[in-house]
Amino acid sequence: MSGVNLSGIVKSYGAMQVVHGIDLTVAEKEFVVLVGPSGCGKSTTLRMIAGLEEITAGDLTIHDRRVNRIAPKDRDVAMVFQNYALYPHLNVADNMAFGLRIRKMPKNEIKTTIDDVAEILGLTEYLDRRPADLSGGQRQRVAMGRAIVRHPKVFLFDEPLSNLDAKLRTQMRAEIKRLHKRLGVTSVYVTHDQVEAMTLADRIVVMNNGAIEQIGTPMELFNNPSNTFVAGFLGSPPMNQMKGTLTDSGALVGDVEIKINGATGPHAGRNVIVGIRPEHVTLTAEEGTSPLPINLDLVEPLGSEALLHARHGEDNLVFKANTENDIDSLSGVNKVHIPAHLVKIFDADTGKALVLGD
Amino acid sequence: MMKWNLYSRGDKFFAIVVSVLIGLFTVATLYPFIYIAAVSFSSGFAAQAGKVVLTPIDATIEAYGYILKDPQFWISYRNTFIYTIGGTIMSLMFIIPCAYALSRPQLKGRRFFNLFIAFTMWFNAGLIPFFLNMRDLGLLDSMFGIILGFAINAFNIILLRNFFESIPQSFEEAARMDGANDFQVLWKVFIPLSKPAIATITLFLIVARWNGFFWAMVLLQSESKIPLQVFLRHTISNLSDDDEFAIVQTAAGFSAETVTAAIIVCSIIPVLIVYPFIQKYFEKGILLGGVKE
Repeated sequence: MSGVNLSGIVKSYGAMQVVHGIDLTVAEKEFVVLVGPSGCGKSTTLRMIAGLEEITAGDLTIHDRRVNRIAPKDRDVAMVFQNYALYPHLNVADNMAFGLRIRKMPKNEIKTTIDDVAEILGLTEYLDRRPADLSGGQRQRVAMGRAIVRHPKVFLFDEPLSNLDAKLRTQMRAEIKRLHKRLGVTSVYVTHDQVEAMTLADRIVVMNNGAIEQIGTPMELFNNPSNTFVAGFLGSPPMNQMKGTLTDSGALVGDVEIKINGATGPHAGRNVIVGIRPEHVTLTAEEGTSPLPINLDLVEPLGSEALLHARHGEDNLVFKANTENDIDSLSGVNKVHIPAHLVKIFDADTGKALVLGD
Repeated sequence: MMKWNLYSRGDKFFAIVVSVLIGLFTVATLYPFIYIAAVSFSSGFAAQAGKVVLTPIDATIEAYGYILKDPQFWISYRNTFIYTIGGTIMSLMFIIPCAYALSRPQLKGRRFFNLFIAFTMWFNAGLIPFFLNMRDLGLLDSMFGIILGFAINAFNIILLRNFFESIPQSFEEAARMDGANDFQVLWKVFIPLSKPAIATITLFLIVARWNGFFWAMVLLQSESKIPLQVFLRHTISNLSDDDEFAIVQTAAGFSAETVTAAIIVCSIIPVLIVYPFIQKYFEKGILLGGVKE
């Protein structure tokens, strides 16, 4: 049984199509994160699952029941909104009880449910407060509590952490993950923050321009991005991409040849994008690396490591380096060494990853 | 607290001008009240002679004694309460759902309906067609006619619609996810969140109904159905050309002026009493804290 299944889901506003036929299966108890830049259709997709937007075409099933034309309240899903949408005129307990009262749950059951959830979320002492008297993190918890009390089949999260400051966001992110482990409810989570996506997801769905670019576990997507968009979206900073041409033994970037694992011979002469993650380069030559001369223009220390902003030909590049050595010595760096087995090759025209034979 | 030192010369001048204007305005609105109250407690002679300025002259409650003994005063007083309470409730029953529907983006033909409502603010059929319409509906000389005929008011609908529109969409969506239908969204979320706006239009409605005079005079004939304002008008016209009354009043110590003033004072009191109760809803920032933009 699948938790949520989208097949050929399309959304149009008048003549403008914003979601172009999405296929996605979310397994039961799975935590799937939809990630992508603003306007990529991820929120619209989530809202279609919630029932807040009509589905133009395609089929949506929740627990194997087609729900295209079923009202949100009958879909057995709960949603956490970006702006929390807590009812300001009700206190925390009443906010959480709102849905239960509408569903005519008996009073004593409501009370025990609310008390249990408040306990889980650490809200017990705030039950009598109004949303205005709570901090951002507490409001966020109430919004989650309101979703949890209903024991829905699916949780939907619409950028729930984007209104919190950085520190609180890290903390709440961990809380959401713990909560999911504890409750094991199928969850679909929308964010534009790739760090949230990487840390929370069982599987990530990268979206762009109303379509899915790639689906996979965080590490699959990180290690084997299927195209330049995914490569450039995940990772912080994202993968460096340089224009180049394949040769018999590697790839020519400017006038420098970079060694690549795999048989490049059959593709020799092809225009490609050469990708290398910032953290994969070394500052000293090692076995299987090729040197790449760079013009360093900025060193950003981050504490345990530093970001090196550099140029090679027309390409702007960023590399990560350890700072165990003297940070001042980094300003003298004029080349980095690229390990052949970590280089990714993409077709220059389509942006798709090239699979090279052995 | 004004921190005068932080104000520039221009600011100080501006603050003084504003204070003076507000002061003048306050006097201009407050003085008629004080004057009418003073007249109502003065003797008939003093009032007729125009001696009353600020405080009662030859203080007496004779005028009140005269009107409170008049059964027609009590009947019309009761009628005014019926029109005010009934009319306000009737209006809210129409205006709130109407404003809510017009505020929803999913309403088909929303622009048309909005235009349709707003249209009546600038153009209406006019006195005689409206009168004929009421006559044909059998609503002449009918208390229900007065309540129903003026239940809908475009200005209040638009006022409330705008307020509903300013409530973030996510409240409605959250309530829908929580299982609420349209009526529950309106009743449990939008109305509680709109207390200040609803209090405002309620006050408008109460005052308009309470002071409603013209249409009541045109549409009602029976003495048993007229509201206080029409009774006041009758009293003024009756007393001023009633020779017999002129003799009675000389002996009793009141006059047409003081009786009129006493009726006005009596008619103002309930509105003055209601206002503080409604005023507490004019609180700001009821939406604070629920959403974070």
